Amino acid sequence: MGVLTVLWEKWVEFRRDFYKITVAAIISPVMYLIIFGLGIQTTSHGVPYLNFLIPGVVAMATMTGSFSAVAQSMSVQRLYEKALDQVMISPTPLWQFILGQVLGGSLRGMYAAGLILLLTCPIQTGLSYNGLSFLIMFLNGMVFSTIAVVLSFLAKSYSDAPRYTSYIIMPMSFLCNTFFSTDQMPAGFRQVISLLPLSQSCDMIRKIAHGEHPGFFGFMVLGLYLAVFGLMAILFIYKKKNL
Amino acid sequence: MIELRGLTKQFGDFKAVDDLSLKINTGEFFGLLGPNGAGKTTIISMISTVLLPSSGEVFIDGHKLDRKASEQKRKLCVITQEYSMRQDMTMDEVMQYQGKLYYLPAKVIREKSDELLEFTGLKEFRKRTVRHLSGGMKRKLMICRALLVEPEILLLDEPTAGMDALSRRQMWNLLRQVNNQNMTIILTTHYMEEAQTLCDRVALLNRGRLQKLNTPAELIREQGAFAVDEVSEEGMSTYYFNDKEEAFQFLKNTDKQAFFRATTLEDVFIEGAGRRLE
Repeated sequence: MGVLTVLWEKWVEFRRDFYKITVAAIISPVMYLIIFGLGIQTTSHGVPYLNFLIPGVVAMATMTGSFSAVAQSMSVQRLYEKALDQVMISPTPLWQFILGQVLGGSLRGMYAAGLILLLTCPIQTGLSYNGLSFLIMFLNGMVFSTIAVVLSFLAKSYSDAPRYTSYIIMPMSFLCNTFFSTDQMPAGFRQVISLLPLSQSCDMIRKIAHGEHPGFFGFMVLGLYLAVFGLMAILFIYKKKNL
Repeated sequence: MIELRGLTKQFGDFKAVDDLSLKINTGEFFGLLGPNGAGKTTIISMISTVLLPSSGEVFIDGHKLDRKASEQKRKLCVITQEYSMRQDMTMDEVMQYQGKLYYLPAKVIREKSDELLEFTGLKEFRKRTVRHLSGGMKRKLMICRALLVEPEILLLDEPTAGMDALSRRQMWNLLRQVNNQNMTIILTTHYMEEAQTLCDRVALLNRGRLQKLNTPAELIREQGAFAVDEVSEEGMSTYYFNDKEEAFQFLKNTDKQAFFRATTLEDVFIEGAGRRLE
């Protein structure tokens, strides 16, 4: 029930800022696709680079869409509007509030990814997506929404949210298997980057898009991130003395 | 009944609330008074679980209150000092959100919202976002939001701050009405007249510690029911008397300009908390 309340609140936010959210969701991915995919035409691993790029951009869109849907809104609610107090005081179980934020954030990520898929539909790439692809997108969105919840609890001012984007989201966008394969990275660094959630999501969505099986390792990595950050979010909301 | 047992809140080296123990009876209108930094808002924040105490506990009807205690939290509602609302929601959405957080059915939310917004004169602005409301309207909306869920305990942190005199009086009447329906109210305020008019008992706080706890009438009696303000070049001094004749005698004997009046809770506050601050 509490989850539905938070999803309703997220829906109100989405409905009100529909155009802003939509434009923000597609502008960067579309720019990347135009510049790297269509502008600089090349091949990667023997296939058009665009075929490599699109699954990465889709995964990246779920990450940025989910993260921004939660980080900015939660930081403002907690530090500026103090609207989080209304939730803290209410009888709605706080874990349900967290779950609602995570699901709502993930759905926003799915919306961003869906837009990219729609926009790239006319391009004849031969890439394919199935239910598992969407499950990975959703899971990736959940991971980054949960990270956003944790960071919004750690934020000391509402200007911290854009900083987190610069420190975490932007480096991941470029390094995590989106624009080029992590195989090309130096040893040591490669292993670390490969264990980041976006690297795994890109890899799995790309494999499915090329008709391969994504394997289970990626799911385990995403599940682990979700469990660790989910636990941190729950601990913070129940135990943090000065929220 | 609300019971605070040894409630302490420390922010680094600063002790905002220091070993506070209190019992507030069901249906009581209770005031928390004190100068800025006395710990009033921190106490409200701890009772509402927004802040967790460094030590000590809060009990509601004998059950320990914490962030997991949904049953106890259902009884509580708070009107915070700041406008704690989503700025980009409309009034209707703010009310709906509150109702949903307290599991009220949609029909009840709609009917009760209509009634409360009508009563407070906000109904015609219900589609306006919070961002576009005046300070007074936001304050009224917070009251509507709190009353929507018909709490057993209402925590009010300076609810009339920024309100004009007429709105404040309307608010007092409203609070009296809800208190008469056996709602326990805990009020923090800077307006001593407000506390004196509304509260059954008040706690005077200073630097997080309880200084005095009694009914306003009894606190005034302890101070001296009659006051004489004597004005001199150095400023104004106030003298207190329990005997009216004694006060008149003082008035006769003084060669300075002096005025007789009844002692108020503000005098108790100034003589108690105020002087300790100097």
